[in-house]
Amino acid sequence: MRNASRYALLAAGVALALAYPWIVPNLYLLYAGVLTLMYAATATSWNILGGFTGYVSLGHSAFFGLGAYGTGLLMTRAGWSWIPSLIGSALVVALFAALVGVAAVRVRGASFVIVSIALVSMTNLLVQGWRSLTGGSTGLRVPSPFPDLNRGQSHFAFFYLFLGLLALVMLTWWFISRSRYGAGLRAIREDEDKAESLGVPTAAFKVTAYALSALFVALAGGLYALWFRSLDPIFVFSILIGSYMVLMSLLGGVRHLFGPLLGALIVAPAGEYFLVALGETQVHLAAAGLLLVLVVLFMPEGIIPAAARLVSRPQQASIREEAAG
Amino acid sequence: MSSLRTAGLTKSFGGVRAVDDVTVEIAEGRINGLIGPNGSGKTTFFNLVTGLIRPDEGRVLYRDRDITRYAPHRIAHVGLGRTFQLCRVFPRMTVMENMLVAVRRTRLRELLAGTHATGEVERARHWLTRMGIEHLERAEARNLSYGQQKLLELAAVFMGDPELVLLDEPAGGVNPALIERIVTLVRDLNAEGRTFLVVEHNMDMVMGMCDHVIVLDRGAPIAEGPPSAVRADPRVLEAYLGV
Repeated sequence: MRNASRYALLAAGVALALAYPWIVPNLYLLYAGVLTLMYAATATSWNILGGFTGYVSLGHSAFFGLGAYGTGLLMTRAGWSWIPSLIGSALVVALFAALVGVAAVRVRGASFVIVSIALVSMTNLLVQGWRSLTGGSTGLRVPSPFPDLNRGQSHFAFFYLFLGLLALVMLTWWFISRSRYGAGLRAIREDEDKAESLGVPTAAFKVTAYALSALFVALAGGLYALWFRSLDPIFVFSILIGSYMVLMSLLGGVRHLFGPLLGALIVAPAGEYFLVALGETQVHLAAAGLLLVLVVLFMPEGIIPAAARLVSRPQQASIREEAAG
Repeated sequence: MSSLRTAGLTKSFGGVRAVDDVTVEIAEGRINGLIGPNGSGKTTFFNLVTGLIRPDEGRVLYRDRDITRYAPHRIAHVGLGRTFQLCRVFPRMTVMENMLVAVRRTRLRELLAGTHATGEVERARHWLTRMGIEHLERAEARNLSYGQQKLLELAAVFMGDPELVLLDEPAGGVNPALIERIVTLVRDLNAEGRTFLVVEHNMDMVMGMCDHVIVLDRGAPIAEGPPSAVRADPRVLEAYLGV
């Protein structure tokens, strides 16, 4: 694609996103829009670790849940207002992730996936078990940051808050992708020992990517707490939230800035559709699982590279021919 | 002056002493060869020196600095570069991206700088041109021929500006014309002041290119000296031919 048409497409997308709350016909679609942006933000955050380094974390809902509870607790227990609570909570979660990361990113491949799942289970148990602080399994009620707004106006506000977060995460991803740091992270995905032998401090790179990724997921979790105002530990620490980040990223394409966003634009509305059409069934889960299988089997690099191949002709043959000649 | 020195370097895998009490000295400014039959511990020696595996005993000194416990990236930072036996590049990255991976110093400003904002791209083009693969800059590394990947791996190592370069079988699986090109490159780079340590099975290449050869057998050095002397050494003949 030419640069000009690329910018035009980007501008159109941004304009559409900004206009969305004004043009939707009902409150439900506005709510679905906020939810989609939230998933897009978490998936793009996940992709800071997953897309660059290839470390697949199924446990990022731990950071989502901790970010949500941290924000809620700082407001209810410490009496902070919502902005410092949101940011303070996310910073603590990022620090926690860095400490966990020092141990977690030592293991590679399938072992890392298992460790990441264990992290969710542990944080879930901790929050549910610490009844006196968190309210245990009955959940936590979070005060409203905007007590004067009605429900519709609140959705309106959170649409733009999540949109801002998504923009921030995408800018961060883009900034990393064009830095030497990003080149090192990609090299870790391709061949970690080789990267290390070229002078890349792989452990430090992985831990910072892990912590940065957790920071943004925690911000999304904190915004969720302020938006929903009722935290259910079973939901915020569910494997489902983490799996959605993975599914959305893989579907769109983990090597692309817009991959997770594209995945979220497909998966989140589809999930909502199943809920509306079929009620509170588990069909949306089965559909998500099936979609994941299909993506891994037929489009392992996601929609964006697959679509790009359809548009532009492969040029690789010429290099091979030259090499053979 | 010695570039690299090991003292009593030992590493066992299970019951096998892959590297057994190796004390050697690699002189600076020379092209050194490391030869020996299969399984004699050459690659293990490389991995010990570059920190990829930890020795059970012994020390590794680079320019009199003890680097035994250094992480591999720190060993790269002090000036050691290496290639791998079966040629390792980053397959799903472009040739230019491969070139921009090497980190010489961990300074935050440099790491966060855009890859194209620094002079690194110019340096990368310089090395690609020396290897003769500058026209492949935008190609993904996995689409290169094996020989081109070898040249890319070598070029990427030089982005780290190493003083001592360890080459693990640079001629392995490579056609004769390319071997000739690699030999010329190594000689030129050596003339510019870089030290080499080369593991190689191609004896013609080793004997023609190296100033000094060390022979390993069953994890221990059995002979060393100029190529002509090593070639005539009865212990070497015995190790290789089993006579």
